[in-house]
Amino acid sequence: MDEEPEIAKRWEGGYERTWEVLKEDESGSLKATVEDILFQSKRKRVIESHGQVRLGMMRHLFVVVDTSRTMDDHDLKPNRLTSTLKLLEFFVDEYFDQNPISQIGIITTQNKRAQKLTDLSGNPKKHITALKKAVDTTCIGEPSLYNSINLAMQTLKHMPGHTSREILIVLSSLTTCDPANINELVKTLQGLKIRVSVIGLSAEVRVCTVLTRDTGGSYNVILDECHFRELLMLHVKPPPASTSSECSLIRMGFPQHIIATMSEQDAKPSFSMAHLDSTGGPGLGFGGYYCPQCRAKYTELPVECKVCGLTLVSAPHLARSFHHLFPLDAFQESPLEELTGERFCQACQGQLKDQSVFTCPVCRTVFCVECDLFIHDTLHCCPSCIHNQGMS
Amino acid sequence: MKLNIEGLLVYFPYDYIYPEQYSYMLELKRTLDAKGHGVLEMPSGTGKTISLLSLIVAYQRAHPLEVTKLVYCSRTVPEIEKVVEELRKLIEFYAKETGKTNNFLALALSSRKNLCVHPEVSSLRFGKEVDGKCHSLTASYMRAQRQSDPSLPSCCFYEEFDAVGRQVPVSAGVYNLDDLKDYGRRKGWCPYYLARYSILHANIIVYSYHYLLDPKIADLVSKELSKKSVVVFDEAHNIDSVCIDSMSVNITRRTLDRCQLNVDTLQSTIQRIKETDAAKLKEEYRQLLEGLKEASVARETDVFLSNPVLPDEILQEAVPGSIRTAEHFIGFLKRFLEYLKSRLRTHHVVQESAPQFLKDIFEKVCIDRKPMRFCAERLHSLLRTLEIADVADFSAITLISHFATLVSTYSKGFTIIIEPFEDKTPTIANPVLHFSCMDASIAIKPVFERFQTVIITSGTLSPLDIYPRILDFRPVTMASFTMTLARTCLCPLIVGRGNDQVALSSKFETREDFAVIRNYGNLLLEMSAIVPDGIVAFFTSYVYMENIVASWYEQGILENVQRNKLIFIETPDAAETSMALEKYQEACENGRGAILLSVARGKVSEGIDFVHHYGRAVIMFGVPYVYTQSRILKARLEYLRDQFQIRENDFLTFDAMRHAAQCVGRVIRGKTDYGLMIFADKRYARADKRGKLPRWIQEQITDSSLNLSIDETIQLSKHFLRQMAQPFKRVRTCPQHTLSPTCLHSTNTLNMLSVEEMMPKYTGCGGKK
Repeated sequence: MDEEPEIAKRWEGGYERTWEVLKEDESGSLKATVEDILFQSKRKRVIESHGQVRLGMMRHLFVVVDTSRTMDDHDLKPNRLTSTLKLLEFFVDEYFDQNPISQIGIITTQNKRAQKLTDLSGNPKKHITALKKAVDTTCIGEPSLYNSINLAMQTLKHMPGHTSREILIVLSSLTTCDPANINELVKTLQGLKIRVSVIGLSAEVRVCTVLTRDTGGSYNVILDECHFRELLMLHVKPPPASTSSECSLIRMGFPQHIIATMSEQDAKPSFSMAHLDSTGGPGLGFGGYYCPQCRAKYTELPVECKVCGLTLVSAPHLARSFHHLFPLDAFQESPLEELTGERFCQACQGQLKDQSVFTCPVCRTVFCVECDLFIHDTLHCCPSCIHNQGMS
Repeated sequence: MKLNIEGLLVYFPYDYIYPEQYSYMLELKRTLDAKGHGVLEMPSGTGKTISLLSLIVAYQRAHPLEVTKLVYCSRTVPEIEKVVEELRKLIEFYAKETGKTNNFLALALSSRKNLCVHPEVSSLRFGKEVDGKCHSLTASYMRAQRQSDPSLPSCCFYEEFDAVGRQVPVSAGVYNLDDLKDYGRRKGWCPYYLARYSILHANIIVYSYHYLLDPKIADLVSKELSKKSVVVFDEAHNIDSVCIDSMSVNITRRTLDRCQLNVDTLQSTIQRIKETDAAKLKEEYRQLLEGLKEASVARETDVFLSNPVLPDEILQEAVPGSIRTAEHFIGFLKRFLEYLKSRLRTHHVVQESAPQFLKDIFEKVCIDRKPMRFCAERLHSLLRTLEIADVADFSAITLISHFATLVSTYSKGFTIIIEPFEDKTPTIANPVLHFSCMDASIAIKPVFERFQTVIITSGTLSPLDIYPRILDFRPVTMASFTMTLARTCLCPLIVGRGNDQVALSSKFETREDFAVIRNYGNLLLEMSAIVPDGIVAFFTSYVYMENIVASWYEQGILENVQRNKLIFIETPDAAETSMALEKYQEACENGRGAILLSVARGKVSEGIDFVHHYGRAVIMFGVPYVYTQSRILKARLEYLRDQFQIRENDFLTFDAMRHAAQCVGRVIRGKTDYGLMIFADKRYARADKRGKLPRWIQEQITDSSLNLSIDETIQLSKHFLRQMAQPFKRVRTCPQHTLSPTCLHSTNTLNMLSVEEMMPKYTGCGGKK
């Protein structure tokens, strides 16, 4: 497995100027810059809280992965394809973590064609397996923007109007081979309210600028792997819903997890409905989630009931989606010198050593960088505020 | 916003101003104050035109007696239109700010082809046809004939204009070519003659160089412009070539054959008229005794723009008796023609000066210098007398007559070269007589002498000091302004060697070298893989391009390139090229990507802009030296050395570098634009070449980008393109890049500016030493 392809030898790769990032300070030491780079990379997450706006919480997203010739390039390690797929695995995880009631599908494009890797579904495992398998794809030919968007559009246009329809394209090539005029397609996309975003791996391509501008998506070009990861993470947050999208109430079921064991009298093993059409996994077992409407059994949530079409979620899923609507305000950054009083982080109780500290604007509690990141990325609420609420 | 430029209130139609625009205006105002000439260089895309216009208009309003007119000369029709649009914005801003309509008249002027509204005439395709047809409808004797015979065709637009158009001046406003046409259609007046008439009282005229520099046209159009005008030559980096071209004559065997036909027609016409209307010829004879004196009277009353073709002393004299009658003149022309034919029959190259030529012609066919000098005037008069309708047919004989006048008038600054065949095809006889002007100052001299302020400006004028020398004038200001950038949006890289360490160069010794060609191919291939959308590549000549592209094709490089991008090639054929350009832009637009292979000094390198995605990179294969074996060039170099003390090498390098700068400058057309500039020749790294690039490009060349290999170039380009693709927001509040009215009035910024402004001045003068 560890056998790297011949070409991936370091000395055969491109010529890089890694030292140019480093700068000496007045005393000629590199230490300060290194620390600064580390600090910056920690702080790099972008907080763009959009306040109280409607968000498209139920998302249908197609990720298009370019697997054309250019993906063999070694400017991302070990090559663009492997790096992209690794990051996408991570992305899929994050995506379902943050958007439990949404779905995702993956399309690859090469050799002027587009191919569906996985269909739209809410099951992260399936996608991740597919992505892992795709590492061995040979990268050939040119990608086709038109074909891949068209393929995604065929599925997305049947999705209900209250959900947000999105396409995210990871494009490495600078050229596209299209069977027809892509500008016509952009008009169709506009009509269907499909938002197309592009992450470019090499440079700014005009046609993508037009595509994303006209469909209301975003267009970014990566600088390096870290930046790539950040740009992907920007797409984890649900986008603001367009005002014209329909609103409707959605029926949802909250099935309880019932655990049965062999020892119980009336316990009979049963098949999970989710396994009916997939070959992987035995699917036969005790216990699971039972649809409150039709009693069909599922082993994983969230899922759409195959029998009665009810959306099945668990309460924590909804709660996690909920935080997007009320994001936690960014903490104020201030230098350490200005801090009076105890120099301890209120969360981890560690000593504050970095040059800046972060203060919650509501309860004025002080946190360190790591805890600030943890609170905003994972907890989504200030522990100190919650604590105070409990007190009063 | 309103600006205070050393006590002059300038209205500027935008909310912010770049520091370099401010400095440019300061420099311009000083030039106007000193009533002298100026040479100013500022990169394109920094708002040069609007700075010029707003300052000069403000100056005109503040000192209406000192500056009466602005004559703005540009190169092409689209450029003229752009200037008029900027002007319109400015005048509207004036109206809005001052609250009253001002009686400002500004108009564009172009050829009949662009202005004609006559349904039949305007549908003709070529400029010459339109001119000829128009002439046949509107010439004074044609109109006189019509009075006796109303059935003859006429141009109703001209008739209408002639009847009433001259009494009422055109209402104030800004007119571009389409506006003039609309106005003409509405009133039923001829827009061309209306425009030509109206430039007399217009405040601003926008037209092409030729109306001032080409003696044949300048005499007709720009004769009566007042001395207190300000003349601006925009995009003037090639002004010396324009001057030279306007004074040079090339005669081929075909010209002579057509000339022979013309003479025959003239002879038969004269014969016919003699039988029917001998009095007319008598009248002409009498006029010729007096005629030229009348012109001299007109010249004295006001200093007209003097015509370099016709020196003053000629006007004092009567037309010499030997060519005064029509038959004698025809005889004279015939002898002259025969002489030229015999000269073209030579089998070896001849180069001689004008006096030598005159001596030879006197010995061989007994033609004196004096009648030759009157040849052009005499022919003109004859054509008028004979009432020839279509002057276009007589272009050959007109050309010959101009040649005769020029060769006998100027003893210095010209050379005659007769080549029996082209250098490329030494077996095919194709004799050409080049009568070549070597001194650019001859054509432009009247302009400098006549107008109180002449501004020469362009994005690429470096090195500044050479222009005053070759144009022979003394500027009061010379300055080069750089571009303040919010981000480094241009990335000049000098590629000196291939990955195999072979030095890249287009110099003569290595130009056939297989390794160099292959490395050039690799460079193009690798660039095509990493640069998005459009790439423009320039070669030094068509021949060189053909060789290289053929070789690339054999090596399979083109095939590989085509996987990344489509390839388009510029050809000498204008129609083909514009077709290629159109398709090129389409390919850039829809994401396929394209490469345009073109030639320095070609149409693409001069007039076409590659904004944004139409040009993300430009590759300059080699240094575009002019073909040095050309005899015309050799003669000119010799002349420059003897007359202006400019060394051959200096001039050649200057000429090559200004064309290189023009080529690479095609990609950056503004501050939001970005592009790579790849100089693929190791000679660019040398200080004498690099130092001749415009300052705004030079500033971006770091020591580390001087002698790169292809690999390194690719890495740097990749990095640059990724950086540039990051979202870019113009920081309007930042005083370093843009100035708002508030920060402009703070003394702090003004101090900063004055320092910045002094710097270019020093560099400008520094180069002079």
